[in-house]
Amino acid sequence: MVRLITHNLLACHVKGCTTNNFPLIFQDVEVELQETEFNPDFIRNMLSRLEWTALVNAAKQVGDTSLPPEQPDMMDDELLQKLHHVLMEINVTDGAMVCQNCNHIYPISNGIPNMLLAEHEIG
Amino acid sequence: MKPVKSITIIDDPQVHEDQHVHVVYDQIASHFSSTRYKPWPIIAKFLSDLPTGWIGLDSGTGNGKYLPLPADRPGSVLTIGLDRSRNLLQIAQHAGSEPGCLITREVVWGDILGSGWRLGAFDYTISIATIHHLASHDRRKLAVQVRVTFIYRQKVHHQHVLQCLLQAVSPIHGRVMIYVWAIEQDELSKRSIPTSDTDGSDHYPLTGEDVFVPWVMSQNQHTAKGKFKNDIPPSATSKEVVSAAPTLAAEIPVYNRYYHMFAKGELKHLTIQAVEGLGLMVGSRESANAKGCRGVEIIQEGWERSNYYVELRRWVS
Repeated sequence: MVRLITHNLLACHVKGCTTNNFPLIFQDVEVELQETEFNPDFIRNMLSRLEWTALVNAAKQVGDTSLPPEQPDMMDDELLQKLHHVLMEINVTDGAMVCQNCNHIYPISNGIPNMLLAEHEIG
Repeated sequence: MKPVKSITIIDDPQVHEDQHVHVVYDQIASHFSSTRYKPWPIIAKFLSDLPTGWIGLDSGTGNGKYLPLPADRPGSVLTIGLDRSRNLLQIAQHAGSEPGCLITREVVWGDILGSGWRLGAFDYTISIATIHHLASHDRRKLAVQVRVTFIYRQKVHHQHVLQCLLQAVSPIHGRVMIYVWAIEQDELSKRSIPTSDTDGSDHYPLTGEDVFVPWVMSQNQHTAKGKFKNDIPPSATSKEVVSAAPTLAAEIPVYNRYYHMFAKGELKHLTIQAVEGLGLMVGSRESANAKGCRGVEIIQEGWERSNYYVELRRWVS
């Protein structure tokens, strides 16, 4: 599955595409919600790895607007729960991710994103 | 004993790798997966020691057997599985699931030579039994005619992968664990590795063996568990590259997988070259003589059950 936690890490890696290659934009996606166990320590500790604005925008693209636009200084339980839902429970199963810089399309099918490049695109 | 043949690669490394690694694993995915279920102890320990909240990449995840770990703290870290074989990924996607309890893992279809993520985004990477499948670095040039040239390119190629792994993790605290097949196989191994069948004169120290390892499809795939009743000779003859199409031996398909088997010291040597190639120091943080230096410490290296391994940590002083 492409959960939003994974989407927050992926970037375009086409040869020469080194600026504005993150985040990839979701396109024509199908989304499945899958309940997973809430681990507040995991969410709290992984926060510093996130690109917050990218996460908020990606969530909007898949229809979730529960997160504040700016990363709050303090994380209460309610917000950790929301984050857990956005990061771990929203699964993109089909569709594509598009690079906003070079327009390269990374297809997603059956929950597996295809990050392979053609030979001439490899840097 | 499963016989293993030495080979010399004579076709385009990319084509070679496609035929003898990617196609093969797609064909044998299900059977292969049923024989790969036990995690190596040192890797299980590596994953157990990770702090809660860390995110990692399993580069060449195969059937995803490391994705559910650590077993004692499930869900405390998130490991994303990457592989070239889509069929294996479909298995990895549900690694650790039990009947009635389907667990979904994060998997990505990609090449370990790629870098489809923010640099330094991960806290750790593991690459287990993967790097030894890579044929050569310079994939665009056709045909490797000279063995010396090939060996050189292969080294560059291996270094490039190590650099990809090092660049995927945090420069401040990133951890890397790498396992590759060793020429030195232990007594319990089902494989027998030939000593060099070249004339020896062109054989460098710290250079492993390039071999085909036959995968014999069992008639009853689910009970096979990697045990083979018969000695089935590989279809590859020495100095010859065969196609990955199944060959019939007593009507049981045999697929030949390409491996580079590492010599003693080769992985460590490659690692040091890869680290230095990135402009990083090799050693502990304490060895840095100024603030702001970047480096990589070799935490441990060694041989475990027919494999060489190395564990690395990045640091900034």
